Amino acid sequence: MVQYHTQLNSTFGALADPTRRGILERLGRSEAGITELAEAFDITLTGMKKHVGVLEAAGLVTTEKVGRVRRCRLGPRRLDAETAWIEEYRRTLEGRLNRLGEFLERTKENR
Amino acid sequence: MTTTTAQEPTVKATVTTPRDREIRIERIFNASRDRVWNAMTDPELVAEWWGRGNKLVIEKLEVKRGGHWRFVEHSAEGVHGFEGRFREVTPPERVVQTFEWDGMPGYVIVNTMTLQDLGDGRTKMVTTSLFHTTEERDGFLQSGMEGGMNQSYEALDRVLASRF
Repeated sequence: MVQYHTQLNSTFGALADPTRRGILERLGRSEAGITELAEAFDITLTGMKKHVGVLEAAGLVTTEKVGRVRRCRLGPRRLDAETAWIEEYRRTLEGRLNRLGEFLERTKENR
Repeated sequence: MTTTTAQEPTVKATVTTPRDREIRIERIFNASRDRVWNAMTDPELVAEWWGRGNKLVIEKLEVKRGGHWRFVEHSAEGVHGFEGRFREVTPPERVVQTFEWDGMPGYVIVNTMTLQDLGDGRTKMVTTSLFHTTEERDGFLQSGMEGGMNQSYEALDRVLASRF
């Protein structure tokens, strides 16, 4: 659980920067090389490597060296934790309201 | 409104997602509005159903504006604390309260619950849960990732639809 929190915090840190959000949006369409990303966002190669590094540490992006090019694509984690939380919340709420219905039915005569 | 019969299902629900960050659930209970209200605000009654069969410790339930609520659920998977504050309490028809799970600090859900007396012994409950998180997440949601979330919602809609 502690690790889970740490991961979420790093997610928010990674997402705090508009350029990094833009990178994720771009990678959501297709994978890309670091040089290509640097040109698309009009920043230096070093700057882009730094952004990609932060995203990679948060599990939002994975990179792979293909020949002389480092390819970037969306990581396996993405927003899984957040999405899972919202789903879990809804599932749980449904479960609770089912129980409430059963309870009201059960106690019908003792009001 | 159709006549209520003993055979009619107690619970009917429709689930929609009017906005990406909002969950809305409508449900009809075969009980008077006062009974539904009491079941949701009297700690002894809440303990009967809120834990979904798990042991529930109600540490606090101050049903008034600004009041604090905190429930701890003991399930097979572990102990989970939930808490929040009441923002609005209008018996027996409307409650606005915040909801947080200890496991996801920083994620605040604002729940609005209204009870409508259908006049035939039944009560319609509408709950809306609005997910408030950090600005970062809001920015991210607007940046094109909502597709994945909608897909998840749709998958869940199918599951829920098959259940009712």
